[in-house]
Amino acid sequence: MNNAISYPDVTQLAVPFFLSAILLELGWIVWRGRGGRYETRDALTSLVLGAGSVVSGMLLGFIAWGFFMWLWSLTPLDLGASALVIAVCFVLDDLRYYWVHRFGHRIRWVWAAHVNHHSSQHYNLTTALRQTWTGAFTWMMIVRAPLVLLGFHPAIVLFVGGLNLVYQFWFHTEAITRLPRWFEAVMNTPSHHRVHHGRNARYLDANYAGVFIIWDKMFGTFVPEQEHEKPDYGLVHNLGTFNPLRVAFHEWIGLFRDVFQPGLTLRQRFGYAFAPPGYSHDASRDTSAEIKAKHLARNPTDAGTPGFD
Amino acid sequence: MPLNILLILVVGGIAILALLLHLLGKSRLVILTPEDARTAWHRHFPDDEILGLTVASDGHAAVVQTDQGPGLLWSFGADTVARHLRDFDLLEKPGHLSVIFRDFTAPRVTLYLNATERPLLQKMMVPA
Repeated sequence: MNNAISYPDVTQLAVPFFLSAILLELGWIVWRGRGGRYETRDALTSLVLGAGSVVSGMLLGFIAWGFFMWLWSLTPLDLGASALVIAVCFVLDDLRYYWVHRFGHRIRWVWAAHVNHHSSQHYNLTTALRQTWTGAFTWMMIVRAPLVLLGFHPAIVLFVGGLNLVYQFWFHTEAITRLPRWFEAVMNTPSHHRVHHGRNARYLDANYAGVFIIWDKMFGTFVPEQEHEKPDYGLVHNLGTFNPLRVAFHEWIGLFRDVFQPGLTLRQRFGYAFAPPGYSHDASRDTSAEIKAKHLARNPTDAGTPGFD
Repeated sequence: MPLNILLILVVGGIAILALLLHLLGKSRLVILTPEDARTAWHRHFPDDEILGLTVASDGHAAVVQTDQGPGLLWSFGADTVARHLRDFDLLEKPGHLSVIFRDFTAPRVTLYLNATERPLLQKMMVPA
């Protein structure tokens, strides 16, 4: 069994591209007076969170690597490292990304790590870099286990995961409106992902795809961007701080405060940790399903339209 | 990529971009009109009924009276943030008023109010 495969860390190699593209997008917005918005402290927070995420990956990456290498020692399968194997792994890993991302919005324990990516009220290329510091604590690496057990080497699995993340950078922009129909039909694009970042009731829990939008279409979570309803970016309850530490850890702190408050049953404590975000034992908060229902009560004509069907 | 090059790129890139944005005027706080404040409140709390609303003279904050009690809306960079005024302390300082929320996600808001509006808004902020 081959243990000596190694691939470059593409997310680190892409840093010069990330910075150049941000400057290009900013230049475009300033020159054309449209195509997005930038705010100094918001962008700074996103960039610091991006840098922190790289550091977190360096410090905690050994957990996932150790887990995958342990699985690799168990499996009798080895698919090798041909271009075809890497391509197949890329597609299957994108399916893995779809589900991890969906869990990230539907399970509070995972949302606690992912929420900072949605915490900006802006949507520009710096938002793409607003990445988690605490992903390792969600143990979502388990979802990658089947790939390793099927015979994809851990180095290939992590390599294609890096490519997936780099692909996702460019579509965090309002500078690109729509792309050719064939591309929009198959690939994740700025338009599809703007929907994902929308806090509008219509757009909640939609478009989880990483690279291929087909997963959302297959699993019923696709909502097309509506001409008449621009996505309103950010969280349902927006943060009132630019402090990267508060942004990175606020949901974990909220989660643990909720779980350990006095007077709850075990089931309620479990709900605060693992039910969808917005769960509360006393109905004092709203989940996305409840937000959608309240919206429909105020706007009954929206029933049956995309995002409300 | 060697770590020292990565570090220079990241730190240098962040510093240059922050400076550029500031020089381009992207650090300015949004100025609220009463209509903006009303729209912004409903953006944050769509179920609330707004009973009254007073915008600070600098346009950076508004005290909103709603059917859920009083609330504070404030400029947050180019955007706004809002909270109901339920669990907070007011710290009176010369020249400004600090609202300390017991909320990890919005710990403190500083309001710069003139001598005329300060007692008025302060009174409006206290839940009935």
